[in-house]
Amino acid sequence: MRDGEAVETVAPPLARGKPAARRRHRPRSYWTLRIGVAVLVFYALVAVLSVFWTPYDPLTPGIGDGYDAPSLAFPLGTDRLGADMLSRLMAGARYDLGIAAVAVAIALTVGTTIGVLSGYFGGTLDTVVMRGVEIFQAFPGLLFAMLVVQAVGAGLVNVILVLSFVGIPDYLRLARAEIQAKKSWQYAEAARLAGNLPWRVAFRHLLPNSIGPLLAFTSINAAFAALVTASLGFLGLGLGPNVPEWGNMIARGQDGIMTGQWWVSFFPGLAILGLTGALYLLGDALADLTDPRRRRQ
Amino acid sequence: MSPGRALLQVRDLAKVFPVAGGRKLFAVDGVTLEIAAGETLALVGESGSGKSTVARCILRLVEPTGGEITIGGEPMLGLPASRLTAMYRRIQMVFQDPNASLNPRMSIRQLLEEPLRLHLYLLRSERARRVQELIEMVGLTTGHLDRYPHELSGGQRQRIGIARAIAVSPEVVILDEPTSSLDVSVRGQVLDLLLDLQQRLNLAYLFITHDLQVVQHVADRVAVMYLGGIVEQGATEAIFAAPRHPYTQALLSAAPVARWGVKRTRTRLAGEISSPIDPPDACRLVGRCPLARPSCSQGKPALVGTGDGRSIACPVVIDTLPQPVAERIPSC
Amino acid sequence: MSDILLEVENFSGAFRGETGDLAPVLHGVSYALETGLMTAVVGESGSGKSLTALSILGIQPPAFERTGGRILFRGQDLCGLDERAMRRVRGAEISMVFQDARAALNPVFTVGRQLADVWQLQHGGSRKAAMGQAIEALRRVSIPEPERRARQYPHEYSGGMAQRAMIAMAALVCEPSLLILDEPTTGLDVTIQSDIMELIVELSRTRGLTTCLITHDLGVVVETCQNVVVMNAGRVVESGSAEAIFTRPRDAYTQRLLASSVLVEAA
Repeated sequence: MRDGEAVETVAPPLARGKPAARRRHRPRSYWTLRIGVAVLVFYALVAVLSVFWTPYDPLTPGIGDGYDAPSLAFPLGTDRLGADMLSRLMAGARYDLGIAAVAVAIALTVGTTIGVLSGYFGGTLDTVVMRGVEIFQAFPGLLFAMLVVQAVGAGLVNVILVLSFVGIPDYLRLARAEIQAKKSWQYAEAARLAGNLPWRVAFRHLLPNSIGPLLAFTSINAAFAALVTASLGFLGLGLGPNVPEWGNMIARGQDGIMTGQWWVSFFPGLAILGLTGALYLLGDALADLTDPRRRRQ
Repeated sequence: MSPGRALLQVRDLAKVFPVAGGRKLFAVDGVTLEIAAGETLALVGESGSGKSTVARCILRLVEPTGGEITIGGEPMLGLPASRLTAMYRRIQMVFQDPNASLNPRMSIRQLLEEPLRLHLYLLRSERARRVQELIEMVGLTTGHLDRYPHELSGGQRQRIGIARAIAVSPEVVILDEPTSSLDVSVRGQVLDLLLDLQQRLNLAYLFITHDLQVVQHVADRVAVMYLGGIVEQGATEAIFAAPRHPYTQALLSAAPVARWGVKRTRTRLAGEISSPIDPPDACRLVGRCPLARPSCSQGKPALVGTGDGRSIACPVVIDTLPQPVAERIPSC
Repeated sequence: MSDILLEVENFSGAFRGETGDLAPVLHGVSYALETGLMTAVVGESGSGKSLTALSILGIQPPAFERTGGRILFRGQDLCGLDERAMRRVRGAEISMVFQDARAALNPVFTVGRQLADVWQLQHGGSRKAAMGQAIEALRRVSIPEPERRARQYPHEYSGGMAQRAMIAMAALVCEPSLLILDEPTTGLDVTIQSDIMELIVELSRTRGLTTCLITHDLGVVVETCQNVVVMNAGRVVESGSAEAIFTRPRDAYTQRLLASSVLVEAA
């Protein structure tokens, strides 16, 4: 159609109410949140349950003949030494979830606290902290974890501590950035006038408003922690040889893959996949939900 | 006005920001003013005038680089954080943006109780009573107390901001463009509320604004700022009836009036506002001012009293006035 | 009575929420822009004045859907045009100036480059010629040292100067018949506001533009616009000549708006 012609154009169909055949449109984050949470809850329940009951003792070899394929007696088969896979898998949940959870909790608390202080007060404190963090982060996380674990020796506590350390810088930076962004907002100034001492403004007013990105990040970070835990276990570092940690179990089943005993490595691998996948889904959903551009209801 | 009655006294306030390349930005460059109880001084200026920075310096939300500030004789500068916090019982602020000045995660009740808890150490029952009092003083109801800021309108939020500011019964309230973010229909109501509260509580107001209508409506005296300094000061009526400083004339004549048939003649300044970074030691208006003389480029003019309760920072204008120059220290 | 260049005819629209429901925001908005005149659309925040204007150009938010009415430009319904046709209308026929000029300009290109690009898009020709036109446009809107300014980036401009550049782009580089300005002076200092409004009036007059000024500031309207449309909560409450609206407002809302726009009567 040319401009200047008074042509009667046909307008596109007008929107009227709720179109009949369309379902209620749910945002993507609705499902990712629920699936992520459901899977995590399932894992947590399994971990708790394994404290009280497993089909067989996870640490005892020789229950089966060794490399038994999945069957009614052993739903996930047995490993090379004849220990029941299902029991080991269930017990492993305690390790992979537990280590990741504790490490993340420590990293979150320590990293956020330092980050908030550094971000709010700035100055020399901030400079010192940031240089420290930069030096620290010059080493790749997994490599660093490996080196330190080799140096300080094996053991559950050491692994958790190392993992926490590796996680601190990211929380620190995130919290610092959030606080710096909000520091000059008027409600921060108002909080000061209301009688809060500076540190209270930072923790009581600014930090709660930064929960969103921190939460979303925690989920992703927990996935990373779980992967590092499994990786360390896979490499035989950190925990004992017979510990039913999933990474460890994958390593022990490596030979079996070639010779057809796929279940020894497969199920622990699946477990890790499920855990990290659920954490990523959750993180994705949290990121969407806490996005400040979403209109508050 | 006798200096003895002044509640808030600011002398030679200065704030210099370092900028890239070793240069300095003179945001506030020697501001002196006084306000007595029950009085309103409006601080007017356009962007870059430094008026908001003055407010934040007085409250030490931004640390001034020079000058003195006293409230009822007590100095604000040089106090440690805890003593400074205590000073916020005497001086408070109403912020410009009602969206940004209320913590979105706190309920209205929590927002109002906080200063009562931290400044006055009131017990829960006393706080509840005071909060009730405050909410009614600003024209809202108890029902609003359990809501969150995003559930209220802009005008309502600003009322909460006002309630919070007067919660501790301060003596001086600084208002930083309190109605700029509000619709015109709400603006009048909020201003009337502020005037009412001032009368009831005998508050001294430092009213920062760019809106000349607001100045005429609420202010007893007005100080006009340009590039960090006060260029003219005096009683509102006098200044608006006969502005003397070229910048004041340009500013006042530029303000549109929403009335049919009102003719304005504009006094214009040439060019654009000059940079506040490393300014030369000259009158800040040089290059734009129709009255500029060579002597204007040789040193920044001081704010000088003209003996009629007004002061002006322009030697050219002073020379044209009939009265003798009374004193160097700004009167009124 | 001049011709009508653009007519908004009973235009209604709603926002579609995440759950699929429609929340109506515009209710039968109708007004006409007379050729060659400046019309103000005034209202407070949430009145729908900006939303209607964005709909004229087809740049309304994606969640907004038309539920009724038409927008006729020279008799042709703009709502019926596809994106390609709309693109021919934008700039060449109808052009818009937004509130925050520095945000509306692309920060990674120089101002001159942006103006020149638009010139080439609208009129073709060589890059060099386009740049020359860009510099002329800057000069025409009283930006001093336009050759130097053309090589600068938007963040190097002051608010008022950036707004002048935007006006240059919308009114001079593009050569529209209709210029829409959405709160062009809000946020600017009052001395700059006056200067910008004078520029707009002058350009409209010399180029015979039809101008639609959207604003909440009645002071800006009274000296510049011939017609006024008053909107409230998605409806047009009153419209007429500026003189009629300001001296003999009939609707209660208009009267309240006028009353609250002036706090102190001029001496």
